[in-house]
Amino acid sequence: MMQKAKDDAELADFGRFSEPALLILVSLAEGPRHGYSMTEDIEAIAGVRLGPGTLYGALARLEARGLIEPLKSEDRRNPYRLTSLGERALRARLDSMMTVARTGQRRLASA
Amino acid sequence: MSWLLRLYPAQWRERYGEEFGAVLASQRASPGLVLDVLGGAIDAHLHPQIQHSHSKQILGDNMGDDMTTLEMLQRCAAGGPKLSPRDRRIASLVMILSALVLAGLYIGLTKIYRAAPAVEAVFYMSFPFLALVYGQTAYLRKRHWLTQIFVLGAGLLGLYLVMLAVCVVGSKL
Repeated sequence: MMQKAKDDAELADFGRFSEPALLILVSLAEGPRHGYSMTEDIEAIAGVRLGPGTLYGALARLEARGLIEPLKSEDRRNPYRLTSLGERALRARLDSMMTVARTGQRRLASA
Repeated sequence: MSWLLRLYPAQWRERYGEEFGAVLASQRASPGLVLDVLGGAIDAHLHPQIQHSHSKQILGDNMGDDMTTLEMLQRCAAGGPKLSPRDRRIASLVMILSALVLAGLYIGLTKIYRAAPAVEAVFYMSFPFLALVYGQTAYLRKRHWLTQIFVLGAGLLGLYLVMLAVCVVGSKL
């Protein structure tokens, strides 16, 4: 339980980059992607197009925390993948969001 | 649009520049995009995440699990940008001398003008000013002396004007 709370806290202090960081982790959950592919994928799943300033602000933070890592590439478009820490943080965050969503729906249904 | 990349710190550009440029080139130019890149550049200067991730990359690529190197890198990261003991001593000395000059100036001005807002502003600016002096002396030491004077002078003037405005407003309340 404590480990889960710790994993969930990994994304907590990203400030304005929290949401973009979460979307990036969700995008990378399917497999390694480079920046352009992430923006396309995020637009498809969440309907928002991240600008490069926001995207790389969040990517740099995720990389610094060890939640994602770059892969070697000959191409100038460097792909990234989730690390095991990133996977745990994503799982913990999604679980906590799911709990909030379920509670909200239950309360709305009984209102 | 690629000129916007120049607004980012050099170390950041070295690490993310190419891929950032590729993503930037794929997007349609708009005021929103310019604002996003400007915001990212300010953030990169204020929160240089790159230092931490870059040291990890060095470890991964070249140095394996060398604990001595890891400890050295962590010490550097904890101490901020690379400052030699000499840099720190010079910056501290300049800060102490500035504090003495500022204290003398404040005492002299108080004798002449009493508690006028312009004098009070000197007192209130002294704390952030000393931090500014230390920072600028340490980090701009290798820059041209004109650059140092300009940056420090502009910082000092800006700080004084802000404090003066605060004191003037405060005296009228």
